[in-house]
Amino acid sequence: MSLLKTKASRTREKRLDTLNAWQGNVSSAVTEFSDGEPVKRIRTFSQSTQDDLLYALRLLAGISDSVAVIHAPRGCAAAALFHQVTSGSGRWIVTNLDDRDTIMGADLKLRKAVKEVYQRYKPNVVFIVSSPVVAINNDDIQSVVEELHEELELDIVPIYVTGFASHHAVTGYDTTLHALLKYLGGKRGQLRSNQRVNLLAVAEHPDDRREAERLLNALGLELNILPDGALPETFRKAASARHSLSLDQDTENYLGITLRDEYGVPYAEVSRPIGIGGTGRWLEEAGNALGLEESVQVLHKQESERANSALKNFSLKGVRVYLGLASATAFSVLGFVEEFGGEVIGLTVSRLDQLHKERLEKLSELHPALQIHVADGQPFEETNIIKRLSPDLYIGDSIHLGQIGRLGIPVVSLEDVPVLGYNGAISLARRFSAALHNRSFGEVLARTPLPYKDSWFRRSPNWHIKKEVK
Amino acid sequence: MAHHIEGSRNSCALHGALQVVEAIEGGVPVIHSNAGCGAQHFFGVNRLNAGGDRFGGPPVSSSNISEKHVVFGGSSRLREQLKNTVKIVDGDLYVIVTGCSTEMVGDDIPAMAKEGRDQDFQVIYANTPGFRGDVHQGYQLAVKALIEQLPDLGKADKAPVEGLVNIWGIIPHQDPFWAGNLEEIGRLLEGIGLKANILFGYGQGVPEWNRVPDALLNIVVSVWGEAPALLLEERYGTPVLTVEGLPVGAAAGRYLRKISERLELDTTETESFINKEEKRLNTYLAGLADTYYRAGFQREFALIGESSQVVGISDFLAGTLGLIPRTLIITDNPPEYAREALVTRLTGIIEGDRTEVFFSEDLAEITDLVRSGGAELVLGSALEEDVAAELGVPFLQLSFPLSDRVVLNRSYAGYRGAATLLEDLGSAILSENYNTKILHSRVRHGGFDSHKQRHADSVVHAV
Repeated sequence: MSLLKTKASRTREKRLDTLNAWQGNVSSAVTEFSDGEPVKRIRTFSQSTQDDLLYALRLLAGISDSVAVIHAPRGCAAAALFHQVTSGSGRWIVTNLDDRDTIMGADLKLRKAVKEVYQRYKPNVVFIVSSPVVAINNDDIQSVVEELHEELELDIVPIYVTGFASHHAVTGYDTTLHALLKYLGGKRGQLRSNQRVNLLAVAEHPDDRREAERLLNALGLELNILPDGALPETFRKAASARHSLSLDQDTENYLGITLRDEYGVPYAEVSRPIGIGGTGRWLEEAGNALGLEESVQVLHKQESERANSALKNFSLKGVRVYLGLASATAFSVLGFVEEFGGEVIGLTVSRLDQLHKERLEKLSELHPALQIHVADGQPFEETNIIKRLSPDLYIGDSIHLGQIGRLGIPVVSLEDVPVLGYNGAISLARRFSAALHNRSFGEVLARTPLPYKDSWFRRSPNWHIKKEVK
Repeated sequence: MAHHIEGSRNSCALHGALQVVEAIEGGVPVIHSNAGCGAQHFFGVNRLNAGGDRFGGPPVSSSNISEKHVVFGGSSRLREQLKNTVKIVDGDLYVIVTGCSTEMVGDDIPAMAKEGRDQDFQVIYANTPGFRGDVHQGYQLAVKALIEQLPDLGKADKAPVEGLVNIWGIIPHQDPFWAGNLEEIGRLLEGIGLKANILFGYGQGVPEWNRVPDALLNIVVSVWGEAPALLLEERYGTPVLTVEGLPVGAAAGRYLRKISERLELDTTETESFINKEEKRLNTYLAGLADTYYRAGFQREFALIGESSQVVGISDFLAGTLGLIPRTLIITDNPPEYAREALVTRLTGIIEGDRTEVFFSEDLAEITDLVRSGGAELVLGSALEEDVAAELGVPFLQLSFPLSDRVVLNRSYAGYRGAATLLEDLGSAILSENYNTKILHSRVRHGGFDSHKQRHADSVVHAV
């Protein structure tokens, strides 16, 4: 059956056996994913974290010439306000469901909102984003989509996020990408194939996207970049492209495999182009897939010489580093740290699943005893671990770095800095150098206590992770 | 039926309640909802106030319910979460706040809070689903819960504080200058011999809240402070005094006199304090005169913000600084009964003026109103930046949400706040002049580009 027949993608836990609560060393992580389906764990104490709705809003904010209608009570749109005022993108409205709507349903309200937004802005596409209230009530979005699609001759894409059906926020990317392809990708076989190459970029920093584009253009490739910055028609073009290149398998995996399985566009997952060696390997994979081996060699030589000369005084020798990053980024930054002589002494990754098995196996050959903690936004566990390890540098991309800083160690945030390619390596090195060079801010932050009781730090960090009783 | 909103800036009731609990020292919110509710608050509220995050990240306890709890109920999950929260998170008061999903499922929240109290933990609750209102309702629901449920309210262990007055209606974070504004209002009241119970921010914890019934007076600074003040009047007979909007500049003197009269304070002391403060502000204003004339401060302005901000700031800009209010847009949805008074108040600042007052929280509508009003200066939130650029006029971010500034304890209230507002407003006007004149001439002569190039080079060499 076609993948895109269904209303939404399957959740990450069902599709890839994803875990978000786990602690152990690398070799036991390998075992976990080798002996059939891993046992799911839950937390008996948890902290706020992101959900699929937030990830959907983030992805949709990057799509040009669109308006998102968030079908929800007003607070579900708070993060959309953040994206709008901090990155200047993503027009949105919220249907503002009230008490009465939760009882009577709000189809009429949704219909009115879509029509008004269309009349005012005449966008190319309107997204309807579902929410916990709508999911619990099982409000009918689909008939609004179908009727208004005909009436307004407008592409309307429903995104069926729920806030609770999956434990993994990243499911929100899958759900959104599923809907984008289903409604904007067109039918297989009706499309004339083209010579363009898809560059899959989900919620990447704009400079990172430009860096990847710069390198691939230098190889003479014409790109179709999606979903970041894409126009609605980009999805149709993507479905008939000659190849898809990966920037982050964690976020874009669903897009890559659907383009491959549904439309026959080849796709291979490679690790993120982080660090000079890492970028070289990424380009090499692209070159192999597209028959550009020689040009890649020339480009890598030229670019790595430039980057190495900019980085000639940079070293992480003797620096013990802790990583708290999204999984694919973590594995690639680990490579960067080692490339410059540093040592990674532990890591917290947002999730582990079948996608990471190969990386874990390779890592296990080199560092079988390295500790991995799996958590999406659970700083009470992370601070407990880091307090025991006292690293020299923390590199993270979560929204709780303000807590990590109170441990008094230098912190570098990768949330909003370019990290990819040769230019990304230069930008990373600058940040790391500055953090290690002057630690005064961390020392001051250490005077503000963490919000936890001292007794918590005497407990083992995984105290609240339990096997789920079904 | 609530209408849809483009670019809503009033978030939801749960988020308003979180703003209240997080602004109380020792207050720990325990969110009972799906995982994203606390993160939405962090992104959409805390981060848009650059510098307003107490825990170092999103709220520290959240039950993160899953499908199972939606189907079978989430009370047992909340019980487990609460039991572990009091063990892990340091605090004096744990406040259960609910989201839409658990309210629709119908979990028994009061029973869970009672279980906590039976174990001798300070636990209270507020039902705050987002479908029940915006941040302003959330503020009122949380404050009501505190007044009705705080176990030791009114049982102060120390002797009562003399001359205590409570301040209501400034919503932490929704007023980006809340911390500084409360501090300045506290300073002014101390100047006339009172002690302000400001209840939020540095040094404001459960003991301060427990003293709320001891106050001589409840001072209401915005329409959102009326409900708590009336509740206290009903319960403890404390009188209420309403000041119309944030007191900025000279308005502070008017209100100080009113309060002094009501509480029969020493008139000489009050007058001497007001004189001293006014004299200082007047000296600063006189020093500004040259710049004021030269840069053409006297402009028509559009102001977009919460009712108490719009009243207080318009009053100062028009009543003291000689600016001309053109388009005033109130975004906090004040109740119908309060609207007429606001319009009368605002259109009456300058006699015979053509000031127009609107009520809206819809970005499209606000943009249209500002555009057609054609102001020469725009004061609003980050959301008004585009229309200000379109009009090609100076712009200052001063209402929620903020994107281009850090606010820690800056204040626009009182005499000191008036001077700060002038600094910011004046800087916006001067930098607009700078951008149009100097940068353009640099670009024309090629100087700007080569400067930029040098900067880019030094970045690479710095590694």
